[in-house]
Amino acid sequence: MDIEGPPLALLTARIADTPVDFLPASGAAGEGTVAVAVDAVLHDLCAMRGFEVPAATFAALSAQGKAAPAWRRLSLLLAWLLAEPALRWPQRVDAVLELLLSRAEELSAQVKSAQWLADEERREELARLALLSLGQRPAGESVVQARDRWQAISSTERARLVAASRSAEQRAREIREALARKAAEESADKWSRE
Amino acid sequence: MSLQQDSSVDPLQRCPGLSPAGAALLKRMRELPCAPIYRNQSGHRLGAGEVAAVRAHAAALAHASIEPRAAHAAWLPEFFQRVRERVPAQHVRDADPTCFESWPTTCRADFAADIAAHVPDDLPLDRLINFRTTGTSGHPLLLPSHPVVAARYLGYHQRAFRRFGIELTAGRGAVGVVLIGWQERCFTYTSVSPYRDECGLAKINLHPADWRDPAHRGAYLDALAPEVIAGDPLSFAELLQIPCTHRPRVLLSTSMQLLPGLRRALAARFACPIADIYSMNEAGPIAVADSDLGGHVLLQPEMVVEILDPDGRPLPEGERGEITLSGGFNDYLPLLRYRTGDHASLVRREGEWLLLGLEGRQPVRFRRSDGRWINNIDVTHALRDWPLAQFALHQHADGSFDLGIQSAAALDHAQLQACLLQVLGDQARLRIASVAPQSGKLWQYRCDLPA
Repeated sequence: MDIEGPPLALLTARIADTPVDFLPASGAAGEGTVAVAVDAVLHDLCAMRGFEVPAATFAALSAQGKAAPAWRRLSLLLAWLLAEPALRWPQRVDAVLELLLSRAEELSAQVKSAQWLADEERREELARLALLSLGQRPAGESVVQARDRWQAISSTERARLVAASRSAEQRAREIREALARKAAEESADKWSRE
Repeated sequence: MSLQQDSSVDPLQRCPGLSPAGAALLKRMRELPCAPIYRNQSGHRLGAGEVAAVRAHAAALAHASIEPRAAHAAWLPEFFQRVRERVPAQHVRDADPTCFESWPTTCRADFAADIAAHVPDDLPLDRLINFRTTGTSGHPLLLPSHPVVAARYLGYHQRAFRRFGIELTAGRGAVGVVLIGWQERCFTYTSVSPYRDECGLAKINLHPADWRDPAHRGAYLDALAPEVIAGDPLSFAELLQIPCTHRPRVLLSTSMQLLPGLRRALAARFACPIADIYSMNEAGPIAVADSDLGGHVLLQPEMVVEILDPDGRPLPEGERGEITLSGGFNDYLPLLRYRTGDHASLVRREGEWLLLGLEGRQPVRFRRSDGRWINNIDVTHALRDWPLAQFALHQHADGSFDLGIQSAAALDHAQLQACLLQVLGDQARLRIASVAPQSGKLWQYRCDLPA
């Protein structure tokens, strides 16, 4: 966070204005697929910024790769964001690769793809995550401010997920208990059986 | 199956609002000298408001039009959104919410893995009940339901009966339905149906072990004189062996495929219509067989039916594929693109939507003795005129066949063999054996040969 990057608003606006080419619909292969060669896009992005990354690096995101559709979508969205000219890349590409691969995979399992665009707070989280990965902070913010805001925004999401997960677990337990308690035959009449 | 007694001894708890006439009918059904040994207690557990709601539901069903196509079902978009938002298993899915036909399908395995995730998260659980199902896979599964959902079944049955010109009339003091089973162990009880003026309901087991004297079975049915007898092909096959003079107004067959031979034997004996219903615990009564139209007529107005290919893509009208359901009347298990494992094509004939060529489970191919492959439908067709309650055909890895049959009547195995060899090939090695009835659905077709 030592380096001051572009203004946060510039990045969140870029996310909001993501072209449709970077928001793929389902692919011809059916539900849940992505009809864009995400691996090629990422490869080209790195090349554009002067990094020659072996093609195999993004193999998981290729058409035959193991990446889930949500991961592909988030990596594609991050590619658009990282192509922002005002965003300086570091000397080494490792941090970018980590963002596009492991962080994107992890986050895509927690947040639905559509929310990255639709939800203002998620746009901010994504913009801050990109800056953080590149060792930068938003223009006009001190290191402390940037760190606090990042913790607030990511911990909010985490807290929400934890609470939702606790509540869902409790509900599922109650349903399983209720199901085990009452057999229909003992507590309702049907005029037929299956 | 749980054979525990209902915990509430008080009939008013099991049947709220029970009238003196209803109580007298319950007593009579249990205490007739020829009554079976009732093993259990049950009841409708409906409050007065719920009874009114069930009646209104049945009345609305009577003339509601059926529109199974997703693009034409006006209620579908709201249902689709509600299920996505309220059913945990659906709102974690990452797919395009604007396109119903690309939304991921669900199947029985999803329910088996975590049924709780398929219950909407805004419904109260205090009156949740379960339907236990084994299906053809043999894996028991508890499906969520509610007393009101169970009571709604009758509306769909009435819709089916009307196709045969039958309007139910049994009311106070009369017995509306006797459900017959034929199993080693069976949950048996008496109850009343408050939405039909407390007419009686009895669930009995025709197995001799449940009677003081097996000869009482016919006498008891004659004494109750139910308007409807509901059962499955196994229990109906047994019913044919029992001397009784009562003629119900309609027979209701569910649970398994009713073959035409048994249907004809039942029609000849009871001289009444037979409503052969395609139904499953996951969805309730889906369609009723109509021999004039040559298929199963859909029964649920709020049910979208898609026919999917093996890759999950919707097939055009008239093409054969897997029956996939959305909607339904069980608030506790709203179906969203639920793949049933059953196969048919969907067509419209004479203004009615029909499932044609309904067959359970995945199509199975068998190799004839001349090396050609045939479909299981060919076998079903060959056996259609035999009075079989159940059958199962298994082709072993060496190409030989075993046919297990369960039949009420003594059959000429040589004739049956000759009939089947016409489709399996002249040189096919076929063994035929009578088998004990299976209480659930069974793997009707199996083939161990590599495809």
